[in-house]
Amino acid sequence: MSSAGTLHGDAAARDPHTPLPTLDRPDDYLHAQSTLRSWFLTTDHKRIALLYLASITAFFVIGAVAAGFVRLALVVPDGAIMTNDTYNKAFTIHGVVMVWFFLIPSIPATFGNFLIPLMIGAKDLAFPKLNLTSWYIFMTGALFTLVAVVLGGVDTGWTFYAPLSTAFSNTWVLPALIGVTIVGFSSILTGLNFVVTIHTMRAPGMTWFRLPIFVWTHYATSLIFLLATPVITLALILLIAERAFHVGVFDPAYGGDPVLFQHLFWFYSHPAVYIMVLPGMGVISEIVPAFAQKKLFGYRFVAYAAIGLASVTFFVWGHHMFVNGQSDLASLAFSALSFAVAVPSAVKVYNWTATIHKGSLRLDTPMLYAMGYIGLFVLGGLTGLYLATLAINQHIHATYFVVAHFHYIMVGGTVLAFLGGLHFWWPKITGRMYSEPWGRISALFIFIGFNVTFFPQFILGYLGMPRRYATYPPEFQLLNVLSSAGSTILAAGYLFPMVYLVYSLWFGRRASANPWDAKGLEWETASPPPPHNFAGVPQVPKVPYDYPIQAPETGSHHT
Amino acid sequence: MSADITGANPAADPVGVTRAEHFATVGQQRHAATLGMWAWLLTELLLFAGLFLTALILRLLHPEAVQAAAGHLKFWIGATNTVVLLCSSLTMSAAIELSRLGWQRMMVGCLLATASLGALFLMLKGYEYYADYEEHMMPFLARRPYALAEQPATRLFVNLYYVATALHALHLFTGIAILLGITWKASRPGFLQRHQNWIEVYGLYWHFIDLIWIIAFPVLYVVNR
Repeated sequence: MSSAGTLHGDAAARDPHTPLPTLDRPDDYLHAQSTLRSWFLTTDHKRIALLYLASITAFFVIGAVAAGFVRLALVVPDGAIMTNDTYNKAFTIHGVVMVWFFLIPSIPATFGNFLIPLMIGAKDLAFPKLNLTSWYIFMTGALFTLVAVVLGGVDTGWTFYAPLSTAFSNTWVLPALIGVTIVGFSSILTGLNFVVTIHTMRAPGMTWFRLPIFVWTHYATSLIFLLATPVITLALILLIAERAFHVGVFDPAYGGDPVLFQHLFWFYSHPAVYIMVLPGMGVISEIVPAFAQKKLFGYRFVAYAAIGLASVTFFVWGHHMFVNGQSDLASLAFSALSFAVAVPSAVKVYNWTATIHKGSLRLDTPMLYAMGYIGLFVLGGLTGLYLATLAINQHIHATYFVVAHFHYIMVGGTVLAFLGGLHFWWPKITGRMYSEPWGRISALFIFIGFNVTFFPQFILGYLGMPRRYATYPPEFQLLNVLSSAGSTILAAGYLFPMVYLVYSLWFGRRASANPWDAKGLEWETASPPPPHNFAGVPQVPKVPYDYPIQAPETGSHHT
Repeated sequence: MSADITGANPAADPVGVTRAEHFATVGQQRHAATLGMWAWLLTELLLFAGLFLTALILRLLHPEAVQAAAGHLKFWIGATNTVVLLCSSLTMSAAIELSRLGWQRMMVGCLLATASLGALFLMLKGYEYYADYEEHMMPFLARRPYALAEQPATRLFVNLYYVATALHALHLFTGIAILLGITWKASRPGFLQRHQNWIEVYGLYWHFIDLIWIIAFPVLYVVNR
């Protein structure tokens, strides 16, 4: 890491006593224009990525505060801190905001938007105006849902199961449903933009098997956006019609079937897990080779595994309904198919591990997050196999075991990948370096805090504590207090980056074009990049991940 | 969208596409626009697929009730509407062919005919809804007595019919609005030199709305009639 770096244009030659803005105003995408209009009506994918980054960070804070309330309420077993109603609303806000407004857009809408054109050597996404439109659609949906929260909240859980959501809940379900429906269109349009961009906008020489894995995983994610999101849109439209007009499709009194909603819901929401996970896998596949200075092990298999996951995930939704009267044969098939998901997941984990093996490791902040991700993803994935096993599922269905399992995937996976990516590409996005010691400290806090929070929940669930209750038997209190205590460590770990990253915007060291000695087209251009990304047509290297150390470590040079 | 026709000679090249800044070539831009519309149609197809699946499940769960309810639908209005939409697809195809030839005036005429046929569909559909209302076939209206109240499961199918046809009508309404916007722009001089592919890309969407009706009509009106 050279400290001098490349400054913008002829800035290196200027007189240091002359104020910066008067002499050489930088011409990168952040400074080229500075009006409010130039941000809110921008069509630059990089600026839109930052609009998303600001919005989802705000939603992350809202969701995290709600989680804090949930953990606070569960410190005591008898529900003395929060009434049942308030507790139901707290976990619903947490789930709705985190899933629909943070996790699903998180990596695709920010890093995907920012990096896909850079990584494939394009000037922008294929449809820049559509890209801006998706952000406005996202914010409109968010507005509806926030209105629901401000008016008094929703108590159905993020899954909006009928008939609770259609007939029994007396809370603001309709605006929340409308908000979530609208947000779906934002996802669809983002996915559409990515698919078209990856198909049509690649620079000369950028063949499919020279694409970074990040682009592959986003391609797979975009396919899920396109194929699964409309189904939840329809399910939510039917749910809205059911609640507003008593259509009856999900109402047994008229011969409808509430489980039909669960089928439609999970046909989207299980693939949605991979909307959340695949982009994170892409981030890890970029970080690990860079900090091992080693070529990604088994590039093609990692790429195929992304497509494999995106395909298999469409056929496993029934594993959410093992105890809902689904036929044994269907359950058996869904169980077997769910096991199949482990194969491409494991391919990725083994390939990352093999990339680290005999690499030249640097444990900088992004790599710490990546290592944390791999460990937690393995735990989350393996406990997923427990849940996919029919006999064990009977025992731990809808318990804290499930809660812990998906938090290991969603937080241990997606959030850690998001933070790892944020630190990895922060110099590229902002042109500034953050405080490395603080970065490492908060990565450590998050890893420890996360495990203290969620590992006890595996035990609680195994012992039989059901999810979504405000009260629990007193013998579970110790583990619950431990979990709540862990969440405060986790919260501290989240707060640090918000401070030192913002601080770095003004006081951080200037970043060079490639501070990590990483490979990939995004590191070929300046930090931050100019408005149209590259000075000329970028030169695409013959091999992706062309790091000094080969993988596998044969020593021979293969082409 | 700058309106300059960069170096194009109107007499020599009456049809073409102006390259937007972020594309490398016009070919790339055309490919992206077409692929984008296909991707959108794929999404729309899955949206309606969920609806048709639900209709199918209802038929399996309550065959007699669905048959009784489907018998009350206005088959001949639905059939007429099918013909109307097919004709609109024909005029849309004609508009696309004319746009390729650069025959702007006739193309605009075909686009207007397409929008008019779409509007005719909506008017017929509106009349059909009115007739349904008169026959007490709107079970979702809580205060209005329902004609088949003794068969509760018929409610499901009739309500689903409204969800499906309303969703289709919403698509058609949006489609007509966009089409009129495009027609307005397409009536200006030099449009076909700048944005000929708009007509082709939009044509895909129009045919798709038509296609959805061609699936919806038999699923709702015809099967087991």
